[in-house]
Amino acid sequence: MTTAALSIQNVSKHFGKTRAVDNVSFEVNRGEFFSLLGPSGSGKTTLLRIIAGLETPGEGAVYIGGRDVTKLPPYARGIGMVFQDFLLFPHKTVGENIAFPLKMQRLPADKQREQLEWVVSLVRMEGLEDRFPHQLSGGQKQRVALARGLVSRPDVLLLDEPLANLDRELRKEMEVEMRRFQSEIDIPFVYVTHNQEEALTLSARMAVMNYGKFEQVGPKLELYHHPATAFVASFLGATNHLQGKLTRPGETYSHMDWKGIDLVIPSPSAAGPGDTVDYFLKSEKLGIRTGEATPEGTNANRIRGKLRDIIFQGRYSDYFVVFENGEELIISETADIPSVEIGRSIEVTWPAEAGYAFKNEEEEAS
Amino acid sequence: MVAFWKIRRSQGFRAALLTLPPALFIIFFMILPLITIIVYSFWRTENYTMIPDWNLNNYATVLGQKTYLTFLWRSFIMAVCVTAISLVYSYPVAYFIAKRGGRYRLILVLLTAAPFFTGIILRVTAMQQILGPIGLINMAMMHLGLEPIKIFMYTPFATGIGLVYLWIPFMVLAIYLSLLNFNFDLLEVANVNGAKPWRAFLEITWPLNWMGTAIGIALVFIPTFAAAITPRFLGGVNGALFGNILEHEFGATGTWALGSAMGVVMFLICLLVIVAVWKTINLKRSGYTGSLIGEQE
Repeated sequence: MTTAALSIQNVSKHFGKTRAVDNVSFEVNRGEFFSLLGPSGSGKTTLLRIIAGLETPGEGAVYIGGRDVTKLPPYARGIGMVFQDFLLFPHKTVGENIAFPLKMQRLPADKQREQLEWVVSLVRMEGLEDRFPHQLSGGQKQRVALARGLVSRPDVLLLDEPLANLDRELRKEMEVEMRRFQSEIDIPFVYVTHNQEEALTLSARMAVMNYGKFEQVGPKLELYHHPATAFVASFLGATNHLQGKLTRPGETYSHMDWKGIDLVIPSPSAAGPGDTVDYFLKSEKLGIRTGEATPEGTNANRIRGKLRDIIFQGRYSDYFVVFENGEELIISETADIPSVEIGRSIEVTWPAEAGYAFKNEEEEAS
Repeated sequence: MVAFWKIRRSQGFRAALLTLPPALFIIFFMILPLITIIVYSFWRTENYTMIPDWNLNNYATVLGQKTYLTFLWRSFIMAVCVTAISLVYSYPVAYFIAKRGGRYRLILVLLTAAPFFTGIILRVTAMQQILGPIGLINMAMMHLGLEPIKIFMYTPFATGIGLVYLWIPFMVLAIYLSLLNFNFDLLEVANVNGAKPWRAFLEITWPLNWMGTAIGIALVFIPTFAAAITPRFLGGVNGALFGNILEHEFGATGTWALGSAMGVVMFLICLLVIVAVWKTINLKRSGYTGSLIGEQE
């Protein structure tokens, strides 16, 4: 028996021949913010619906607070859930929407009022209890949806892309708000999103999902800085993808032929000479040198290219550099580098270990 | 000339142009006959002729004589029962089609209206062929050496079955159309938030589809209340309803004035029922999110 707030054990779900969720296991502790990140169709929403009881898993078990809920209907699981399209009850007022779970639990009226007041002040919706959902803005609707999910202090709160329908400004604001809610209460959040920024901003731990499987689970910084698979490396952050052939394998560092340019890379596991290698480089880990700068370390790459474009992003700029092999890299650097002009020849540098190299498995299969 | 163009372009003019044909239709074929009937109801008939001799005797007869009140009451009870049965029967059908019908749902709904492909007489006769003394059911019973089921033979019960069969497509259609715009995902939300399926139905599905349901109720109640043909064919001598005697006044007895008064009473009761049903609809509580009349800027 487990003591984790939520425990998923070897859960699988098939839709026809598609494996929506493929033998997934993980645990979420009390008070933890856990994200399930993946592209659309990766099975993250299906997994969330299995936890909620809206889908039954083909195999495996779901434990909430140590209790096996695999066979329980959604209404008996003691969970809260926030949906992408808010899904407020249009015929009920804000207050009635939020108090709905309490009403279903047949809580005494004074207890209901107490819980309602607590959650309304938590999400800062005081004075709007008598409005109807169609009289609210998108952000307010989302607050009501969150309040409804939290009001009964569920054992776990499930969130299915709750910010996807909000505009950027509002999303940023709600991200901050959600962190605040989450730190004020002890309820674990399981947050499904395809937006890596959201996952990285909000969660402590996260799982990256692809084709129904977990690619990697762990603390977010570990996933960001030490991706375990090529998919995680390419999915997290603004990433350049360089494909080439392994030329000289070594113990720690190897050499790769990137369409005519020789690069030093960290040695990919189980790769021999001639194997196709994927090398992923986060754009903020690359640097630009204009003049004769100080020489880099021994395992540094330093290649000359032509600056094609600069896109100003505010605190930094994206520099697009084309190399003589026709490939392009995007480098994020400070916005004000002197004497950098479009069309000029510049050098791009980075240490080998700034990126992650993986043997291309698909190539081998074919 | 300029003024003319202004008029042509004004909102009011366009609205009038669009509403004119149906308005004329209603005035000629509904309002005018109604006024005629109201006028007639204050006259009197003698030897099949209308005599404009203003009096309230017809109403005194309809509302004062026990016979008429009995028939009125019978029709009312019949209409209430038929509506209730249709409602209980239609909701699951409409719900199933709307939720699970997929791409076949239009066909499925049209199929519920299949009886409408033929005329009312044919349909009622068909019911007679099934329920009557020499109908399918009772012939089979007798063939098997059993007693015929008496309740099917010219009774108000048989009339009820016939009326449910006749008007149920309206109820199914009204509820189905309402459910088409219903977001079934809300039921998942209710479920996750602790509502058992029946509770979710009462809290979410029923109130959000009440307007469509109410329309269905009105659409079944009114023709049932006014029914004449069905009770004549299926109800037999003892199963006559208000509609039958009303018909009688205009036919055999030729007392048009009395018949008109009966018609007016029936019309008023239907109006009352519609108002009563309408009063239960709170637009804000129906999930209607458009602007409310009078709330428009």
